[in-house]
Amino acid sequence: MVSLLLQGLALGVLTGGLYALLASGLSLYFGVMRVVMVAHPAFLFLAAYLTYTVHTTLGVDPFLALPVTVPLFFALGVAVQRLLIARLAPDNLAMMSVLLTFGIALTIEGLLGTIYTGSYKSVSMGYATKSLTIGGVHLPYDKIIAFLVAALTLAVLFAVLVKSRFGQALRATIQHREAARLVGIRTERVAGYGFGVGLATAAVGGTVLALITPFFPASHWVWIGKLMAIIVVGGLGSVTGAALAAVLLGVVEGLVLVTVDATWATTMFYVFLFLTLLARPQGFFGGRLAHRF
Amino acid sequence: MARVLKSLTITSMCALALTACAKTDEPGTAQPAGQQQGPVKIGISLPLTGDFAEPGNGIKDGYQVWADRVNAKGGLLGRKVELIFRDDASDPNRVSSDYESLITQDKVNLVFGPFSSRLVIPAAKVAESYNMLFVEPAGAAKEVFEQGFKRLFYAAPAIASDHYNYLADYLIKLPADQRPKTAAYASLDDPFAQGTAYGLRDKLAAAGIKTVVDEVYPPETTDFSPIAAKIAAAKPDIVVGGTQFEDSVGLVRALQELKVQPKLAAFSTGPTEPEFAAAVKGAAESILSPVGWSATATFTGNQEMIKRHKEMFNGEANEDTANGFTVGQVVEAAVNAAKCVDATKECQDKLADHIRQGTFDTVVGKLSFDDQGRPEQAHMIQQYVGGKVEIVLPEQAKTADLVYPKKPW
Repeated sequence: MVSLLLQGLALGVLTGGLYALLASGLSLYFGVMRVVMVAHPAFLFLAAYLTYTVHTTLGVDPFLALPVTVPLFFALGVAVQRLLIARLAPDNLAMMSVLLTFGIALTIEGLLGTIYTGSYKSVSMGYATKSLTIGGVHLPYDKIIAFLVAALTLAVLFAVLVKSRFGQALRATIQHREAARLVGIRTERVAGYGFGVGLATAAVGGTVLALITPFFPASHWVWIGKLMAIIVVGGLGSVTGAALAAVLLGVVEGLVLVTVDATWATTMFYVFLFLTLLARPQGFFGGRLAHRF
Repeated sequence: MARVLKSLTITSMCALALTACAKTDEPGTAQPAGQQQGPVKIGISLPLTGDFAEPGNGIKDGYQVWADRVNAKGGLLGRKVELIFRDDASDPNRVSSDYESLITQDKVNLVFGPFSSRLVIPAAKVAESYNMLFVEPAGAAKEVFEQGFKRLFYAAPAIASDHYNYLADYLIKLPADQRPKTAAYASLDDPFAQGTAYGLRDKLAAAGIKTVVDEVYPPETTDFSPIAAKIAAAKPDIVVGGTQFEDSVGLVRALQELKVQPKLAAFSTGPTEPEFAAAVKGAAESILSPVGWSATATFTGNQEMIKRHKEMFNGEANEDTANGFTVGQVVEAAVNAAKCVDATKECQDKLADHIRQGTFDTVVGKLSFDDQGRPEQAHMIQQYVGGKVEIVLPEQAKTADLVYPKKPW
């Protein structure tokens, strides 16, 4: 039993790391623009499909698709923000953004279905089904890789947000848009780049997903609930909060799975979501609603 | 008021004109009294998008190949067949309204069923309320047959709980020293997937093979490692998955990663899809699945269907194609025997009675049905042997010997 708990804990931490990567973009959009981006998982799978294409046509390791997908997604993000999100009326931005991005998600799903057909695609690498065994606990390589990629991506994201001038401008925009504008920050442009950075994380997340799970055009729907729960528990707009909540929920999920069952494990996301909304609607790790990293 | 009258007049004039046009457009062809003119319209709602998009489109292909074959032979009772498709996006609410409108608005002559027990039940309720015959390609869960439907028939060899019957017999008859002693089951929370796994579980448990893990996971499960960890801890002799595609791949990968090496591994749906072997690489070897159809079988119309499917869609026919095609074959035989094809209660009852009593030659073999519309045959068992899919059970259909214990993955 102890070894099973340890195994559940180890898998939970690794999966939580992946969740953190997948949810970070969502948290960023909300922080910068109060945009509820329902299409984020759809973009994850768009990236997974592009990774699949690069991998199958060029025969290279899926991670070598990143130099293509990351800049592409950054540009796509800036375009989506400039051409679509920026045109929404500011008074009901949160609600309208849900409708708009829902439409974007359906469009992506439709496009993927048309181009790639509805059949399952997968990227199977030899190293993805082996595992490292430490003291009876098996750590699958694909999960270790996912965790490391997530950690690296989040570290880069934090460094950008904290150290760079762009990051400071972005954080200023998040904290107080008008004040930021008064000190000369071009908040519109910053918001566009912020959206681009969010989608760039989706490019990385999609590549990792392609490696660990088979996918088809409608795969994204199962993710939106989980990721939304994570960013609400973590505190909307707080990237650190989202990361901590992701690991916490990953561990809870892993432990409940090995001790109780899978249905309860999935339910835990929504149990935590409800508890958070009841006890601390601003989220457990963020400060005031959506005003901090 | 005047405006209402005016628009009414216009509407009725248009309606009259349309009727006149309809009559003049089709001269000649005198039909027997009581039958409609024009093509035989068949209404079908399928999950062409959403969770079941993949099998939904496979079944659509099967229906189309069947319609093409029938039309090439001159149609049903001399009338061309026209299929009207709706996309229910795998949504049980949409499937109901689709059939409602196909029957009342499009005035179809016949309906064919959708994919998955979850959609078949609401769809069959609508069909039943309009006294329509409802032959369906994919609603094998036992709940489907417990709703009291009188015109529903499942056109495949076996219901879910009978899928593994041949495998159960095989395992129970093994000599005592080779017989597995413990078994682990993991199943998707879906009536069909659970039905298949539990059919095997109950038969093995009754024969003294102990159930050591019995997990159910919801459709939104994306991570199968912890389930595999539970199975690893129990060290079972055999692993059985009540699965669809994604979770069969997820489970196989996770079991491999956690170094579970059972003597036998069987998964319901997933290994039967052509994408499976690529998705799990070499791990497919020795995996077993129940399968309702085989590309190598010489059952009535099978090779013709495979050939025509290739010409029409430039791809390989699969079990879903065969299931759709089978529905067509059963209904076609009933229509030819009953000599009617309209939506009236008398005609639909005649068709249903014929199907209940008859035996039908189809691409999945001979089919007959019990009072609740359940097919009375069993599924074959396939296995990956040397990288190829072979039929290993039953004896009379096999193309290779069953490999047991399985090769390590």
